[in-house]
Amino acid sequence: MDSIIKDLDTTWQDGESKNITFIVTKDCQLACKYCYLVGKNEKERMTWEVAKAAVDYILAHEEDFQEPSVVWDFIGGEPFLEIDLIDRICDYIKTETFRLNHHWFDSYRFSFSTNGINYDSEKVQRFITKNHSHISVGITIDGTKRKHDLNRIWKGDGPEKGSYDAVVKNIPLWLSQFPEGSTKVTISSADIPYIRESVLHLYSLGIKEVNINVVFEDVWNDGDDKLFEEQLTLLADDIIEHGLYKNYACSFFSEAIGKPLDAQLDNQNWCGAGKMLSIDAAGNFYPCTRFAGYSLRNKRPIIIGNITDGIDSNKLRPFLTLDRTTQSPQKCIDCEIASGCAWCQGENYDAAKTDTIFQRSTAICKMHYARVRANNYYWNKLFRKEELEANKPTQSVNPI
Amino acid sequence: MIKYLIIPLSDNAVSFCHYNARKGSSATIETETLRKALIWAMKENLSVQFLYPSEGVGKNIELIINTIDHTDIVPADCRDNNRLKGADIVVFNTWDGIETFGFRPDQSYIIRTTTEILINHRDGIQALLKKVNRLNIVVTDVPNFNPELHNGYQEFLESLIPTIVEEYSSGHMVQLNLLTDRIMLTGMNNCNAGNESLTLAPDGNFYTCPAFYFDGFPAVGTTEQGPDIKNPQLYRLSHAPICRICDAYQCKRCVWHNQQLTFEVNTPGKQQCVMAHIERNASRKLLEALRKAMPGFMSETIIQEIKYLDPFDNIKI
Repeated sequence: MDSIIKDLDTTWQDGESKNITFIVTKDCQLACKYCYLVGKNEKERMTWEVAKAAVDYILAHEEDFQEPSVVWDFIGGEPFLEIDLIDRICDYIKTETFRLNHHWFDSYRFSFSTNGINYDSEKVQRFITKNHSHISVGITIDGTKRKHDLNRIWKGDGPEKGSYDAVVKNIPLWLSQFPEGSTKVTISSADIPYIRESVLHLYSLGIKEVNINVVFEDVWNDGDDKLFEEQLTLLADDIIEHGLYKNYACSFFSEAIGKPLDAQLDNQNWCGAGKMLSIDAAGNFYPCTRFAGYSLRNKRPIIIGNITDGIDSNKLRPFLTLDRTTQSPQKCIDCEIASGCAWCQGENYDAAKTDTIFQRSTAICKMHYARVRANNYYWNKLFRKEELEANKPTQSVNPI
Repeated sequence: MIKYLIIPLSDNAVSFCHYNARKGSSATIETETLRKALIWAMKENLSVQFLYPSEGVGKNIELIINTIDHTDIVPADCRDNNRLKGADIVVFNTWDGIETFGFRPDQSYIIRTTTEILINHRDGIQALLKKVNRLNIVVTDVPNFNPELHNGYQEFLESLIPTIVEEYSSGHMVQLNLLTDRIMLTGMNNCNAGNESLTLAPDGNFYTCPAFYFDGFPAVGTTEQGPDIKNPQLYRLSHAPICRICDAYQCKRCVWHNQQLTFEVNTPGKQQCVMAHIERNASRKLLEALRKAMPGFMSETIIQEIKYLDPFDNIKI
């Protein structure tokens, strides 16, 4: 398809950058119902000493971090609750990479996924102004007020209260600073009826890229797949009929999904766990945040080292040799619509029958089938529309 | 498919492998449990291997053991002389007494030792190779196999080559697991715990191997309900991304070490891979030396020269 259709932006330096995540706090103002972080708390806040030691370890082991670029990622809980610490860490990274003549000195991003609640605070804004050219910020807003408030509720006792109003007020400021800003929408069973209206609402707010996915956990009820397909079909109609595909993108629709995958040629792992590095308040290293204790329901954390002893490379070997077919059941290997069917290594581990990352969870199987059916509809309808428009008779031009 | 059942008869039964038996306990398997397990083993067509403690076992246990064809693995310091004489495999946990032991051609022998002590007993091993037909050396500190030991281990293995060549030349085809197995094998021949072998522990439960029992891992079944290994595919070579492309065929591919070092039973730690490749490369040199002494020796066998000691380096994604 030609460039009239907006593509999803790829990640900065995709595949070329190391992703290093600081879990600066396990606290958050919200208590989202679908949040996979089961161990959130107000106590585990990263100290400056731990953060500094982590940066020192990473920069001192340049030979183990040879990627040309780095994304320094800050998450929580809600990372902007620790803006003072983050500011100090970022300043330290900048001065140390310069002092050490480190190859990441001018090839870095600071990345944030925030709930957006204190985005307009003076401290956060000062930080953004200071580092603007090296920052990526994604604000999570789930769609319409009723969809957003269904899950993204304030923490605390008393009646449930949604956070939509506190977030949406900051969207214009955010988009003025990051016009290409994208949002991340998470779909659980209860959210399905609101998918169409939510994506359209986010477009109406000016958000051009909506990255949306169903949760990987086994939460799906009978009939969810039918409803999901129906919502995506209605969304496809709206996007195509109103020409929204020219300026807006939604990750549910992709030409690449729904094809069979070759067992040898398309055998790479979906997930980047193990190529990333995550650090918590105790100074422990994880292959991804999803393997930290606060992310796991049933399993012990997978700690691959710490700021004192460094990384135990043996603990990374399973992650770095993990391929698609070794972890997949036969039905996935034989699946005719396998491409685009995602998984989360942490959820695989958490849901596995044994303590392994080599057992793929297939909880989203029927949802993927539904997505592929709607996706096929989307592209068939869009191609046909483009074809008909291309063949429209144009006004004849007088050659004289 | 499970083919072998290993039964440590007590908590202090001799270890024949990398793990150590439980210290401070001599709890013995219950006779009724043993009886049921052996009936089950017969029905499943399993080969049974018994591991004995130094003090031997009581008459009741003896009677049950003799109801099934089996292999006896006995510690060299066993105080029951008849048991020691009748052993199929004798295990040495110490170098004491090896020089004076009455080795026999119909028995196989295992020496369990740390790498450093092994390297320092080169002369002892050379002497032993002249006395036995089959010797297995089991290194008990694989996780500590650091780069400082690599050269010493390689030199130790290569120092045994002249002795083995001499023995072969004189018609004594001695087998040493670390050197001759790789020459004889045409494919991976690993421990295969969880895939081909299973362990019935003194507590009456099934475990992947004795090491998992002695190291406190959960059981994988009871004698009442039978074994139930979850994710059994992970114990197969096909589901071991590093091992399935490896040609260090003699490697034990110890799933307990894998679990210890990488948290995954199907993924070896670097130490195990490097150790196995030093053995593989020494085996290659042994094959060359044997061919020089005996032209045409195993002419079909080819062990390629390789530039790596860890196959992980070839496949990390």
